[in-house]
Amino acid sequence: MTTKAHMVRPDDMVAYLLADARPGMTVQTASHALTARDAIPVFHKIALLDIAAGATIHRGGWPIGRASTDIPAGAHVHVHNLVSAYATSKETE
Amino acid sequence: MSDRDTFLGYPRPVGRPGIRNHLLVLNCTGLTDAAARRVAAALPGTVFAGTMYGMGMIAADGDFHTAALSGLATHPNCGAVLLISADRTRLDQMIAVVEASGRPYAALGLDDTNHDAQVLSQRAICDGAQLLRDLSTMRPVPCPMSDLFLGFECGLSDPSSGLVANPLLGQIADWLVDAGGSVVLGESIEWLGTEDELARRAATPEVGAALTDAVSNRLAMAHAAGLDLLGTNPNAANIRAGLSTIEEKASGAVLKAGSRPIQSVLSYAEAPAAPGLHLMDAPSYSPESLTGFVAAGAQMILFTTGLGNSYCSALAPTLKLTANAGTARNLPCQIDFDASAGFTGQTLADLAPDLMAGIIATASARLTWGEIIGEGAESISRFGAAI
Repeated sequence: MTTKAHMVRPDDMVAYLLADARPGMTVQTASHALTARDAIPVFHKIALLDIAAGATIHRGGWPIGRASTDIPAGAHVHVHNLVSAYATSKETE
Repeated sequence: MSDRDTFLGYPRPVGRPGIRNHLLVLNCTGLTDAAARRVAAALPGTVFAGTMYGMGMIAADGDFHTAALSGLATHPNCGAVLLISADRTRLDQMIAVVEASGRPYAALGLDDTNHDAQVLSQRAICDGAQLLRDLSTMRPVPCPMSDLFLGFECGLSDPSSGLVANPLLGQIADWLVDAGGSVVLGESIEWLGTEDELARRAATPEVGAALTDAVSNRLAMAHAAGLDLLGTNPNAANIRAGLSTIEEKASGAVLKAGSRPIQSVLSYAEAPAAPGLHLMDAPSYSPESLTGFVAAGAQMILFTTGLGNSYCSALAPTLKLTANAGTARNLPCQIDFDASAGFTGQTLADLAPDLMAGIIATASARLTWGEIIGEGAESISRFGAAI
């Protein structure tokens, strides 16, 4: 089973699922084919490459936050592993 | 001229033409809210707007409120106004504003009816009926696109908004600005993280500084209240839909601004002094935000949504668009324009002409779903405590 994901620019570090993905499913973008590691709902993000904890994640040329943990390619990227540079809560300091 | 060069509008003695020809029942004081609503209900086809507040608003808060009421009273889509107020002072102030605009109006104050709200309502209904009859003889005429002023909003966004729907509005912004028209977008907290890039597009260094100051002031307000933006903006619904951070949401939201120079940073409800692209430093909650644009004179709102959002302006037809195919399918009587083909092979340049045609059709007469089902309200922001 294959599902598609939307990228804005070739240097994007994440892509947006255009349908729900289950773990093990192939996710196809304009430039990548990778395997989803997690269940990822439609319009949520998948990591297109391995992202180290602390790295700034870019999409469409804009920083969209910082990895709060190591994120392997194919993983679901969301509030559990991506934090705002503007967040003020303790765990993000 | 091609069809894309004009829309049908109602000329006004001063300012932009209307894309509708409403009788506005404008309630100018909180004390008269219920009476003014009875008046509007007795006059089918009128638009009701106004305030729940009155005396006691001070300093900038009071000034913003007066500016917003004045903007609503002289809105292009309002062919005539029925002003209703408890006190003579507010009524006289609004009469002066409406007279300067050359619109037909009637004005009724509780001070003039021995504070009998029933007498006020009865007189207002008779006056309003006459104004409606006069309005019914007006006919729209072709107007150039430079007469159009659009407000851009996003509400209940999901990632489809920032990926397709908002950049599509960016194309519309460029098109209208190039045609000599005007565009405003607000929600200043959603410029966060993009403010330096936006400031580089400012027409002057002062405008750039006003823009970055607006963002840092909003962020300071949030932090002073002990607020972590996560959970507030993006909110819980945004997060369920896949938006993770304010900067992810903001960098999608500002794409509505297209690529042309930013002429000014407007205060709440402030009318732009010149055509072009403008930002309004204002709260992001849609009811307050839309009324800020409408009071500034925007005749139509283009409103992108990811999950669906039923809110509309009362005075400015509010055209809803989404790029989420599921939302478009689930909300056939809310979504006026389905941009989801932007995910299945169509480019923004493919979608833009259809949306331009939809904007012109809506400006010229076609009702939005919100107008058909009777959505629509105005809500003037408050900026401080009252005494």
